[in-house]
Amino acid sequence: MHDKTARRRRAVLVVLVALSLILLTAYFGESPNGRLHDVQRGFLTVVSPIQEGANAALKPVRNLFGWFGNALHAKTQLAEVRKQNNQLRAELLTRTEDERGYKQLLRLYKLDGGLHLSDYSPVTAGVIAQSPNLWYLTVNIDKGSSAGVRVNDPVIDGEGLIGKVTTTAPDAAQVSLITDSAVAVAAMINETGAPGMVYPKVGEPNTLVIRYLPANTPVSVGNYVVTSGTISSRGPSLFPRGLPIGQVSSVGEEAPYKSVEIHPQADLRGLETVQVLTAAPGSAPAQASSVSAALPPEQSSEAAGGTDTSQLASAGGGG
Amino acid sequence: MSSQPNGAVAARVAALAVVVVFLQTGIVSEVPIFGVAIDLTPLVVAFVGLQCGSLAGAVAGFGIGLLVDLTLVQTLGLTSLIFTMIGYGAGRLRELRDPRAALTPLLVGAAAAATSMIGYSVMEIALGVDAPVSLELLRQIVVGVALDTVVALPVWALVHRWLAPSLPDDPRQRRRSRRAYTTGGLSPLSKA
Repeated sequence: MHDKTARRRRAVLVVLVALSLILLTAYFGESPNGRLHDVQRGFLTVVSPIQEGANAALKPVRNLFGWFGNALHAKTQLAEVRKQNNQLRAELLTRTEDERGYKQLLRLYKLDGGLHLSDYSPVTAGVIAQSPNLWYLTVNIDKGSSAGVRVNDPVIDGEGLIGKVTTTAPDAAQVSLITDSAVAVAAMINETGAPGMVYPKVGEPNTLVIRYLPANTPVSVGNYVVTSGTISSRGPSLFPRGLPIGQVSSVGEEAPYKSVEIHPQADLRGLETVQVLTAAPGSAPAQASSVSAALPPEQSSEAAGGTDTSQLASAGGGG
Repeated sequence: MSSQPNGAVAARVAALAVVVVFLQTGIVSEVPIFGVAIDLTPLVVAFVGLQCGSLAGAVAGFGIGLLVDLTLVQTLGLTSLIFTMIGYGAGRLRELRDPRAALTPLLVGAAAAATSMIGYSVMEIALGVDAPVSLELLRQIVVGVALDTVVALPVWALVHRWLAPSLPDDPRQRRRSRRAYTTGGLSPLSKA
């Protein structure tokens, strides 16, 4: 009897492990439009209204916890902020520092004014779920393909770029944050225009790194980093030019390249409301739409029917 | 206690799985402490195993893992694999050692959290991540395990309270109670 139970227990374990490995292998091997991805999207469609309802119902509890967390955080940072404030005040007294700071602020102000975010058909969405995992830095939002959200659309909040859409369902979508290991962004140093690729630093959700920046590139702590919107060898950038990404926090000299760390502009752990730029110029979906629009009507409808823009977009990769 | 779950236990474990996944994604993940969010899911899987045995633990681990992967649109099968091992391991601990110490859930919770976080990291590195891996990851794992350990006892109390009514009487528990009575425990008659 005992042997039979032990055999059954081991058999179930082997079956479950084998099933997990089969799922893992199949999922990892298939394209984003594969069957298992479809199942996930279908599940997301079903659970997103429940998540949305639960999110709304549980918001007071979350706010309560958040209030305690913020209060503790604010207390621990008070001394540090006071010290920084004194330092900044002293710096502001010197004319050169004052001028430099003024020029930087003026440049950023002009940049913000030139973004014309309303031209990008922004769709405002609420964050309904957030991954607890260190490896999957993603959030789920309550707007999906029915609101015009497409795969690879850039996502911003009031501070700057936060990520891109990686999966869509009719009424929900998943956003991979710029600190997710699967996301890379074509960027440039705002002060000098030096281009580079921004990658996350896995394990440090508040740090990004610029890789492949030549050693002679002029960059210093405090410089701002924005999306470059440049066209790389892999295809057009998914992000429009000029979206703030973060501020340089440290510069390491490692020949032949510089290692630059960036502190993200946006608070990626406290996201509540975000905007999806559904018609961002330069994004793959927008380019697909523009190509489709430029074709004669019969070819245009054929192109629209025969090619899923999300497929074109997902082929664009990271930047 | 039987390691073969009955219908009532299965229903309660399924309800627990749904609630914990929504609670995790809706609230707990959005309240970081020291930059890390508490992860209740491996704790619940381990405690189901500790309460119901290895078979139920493995099945619950697989199911909760699958639910997590589906809800958070993660690599399908990864969480299932890790959680299946956690549930089975906790269940075997119960079957082989029958630990009764008050701190057992604390240690099991810590082990489950560590297995989950280290397992994820190992699997992700094995699957190939095109990003530099920082030493800060180690700090995050340590903080995450510590936080999960802190909440392990209350989570165990809730899981135990939720599942206990549907579980059959444990013959070993009955034997233990009888032994305590025959070796000097108070007789119900002596109270009179």
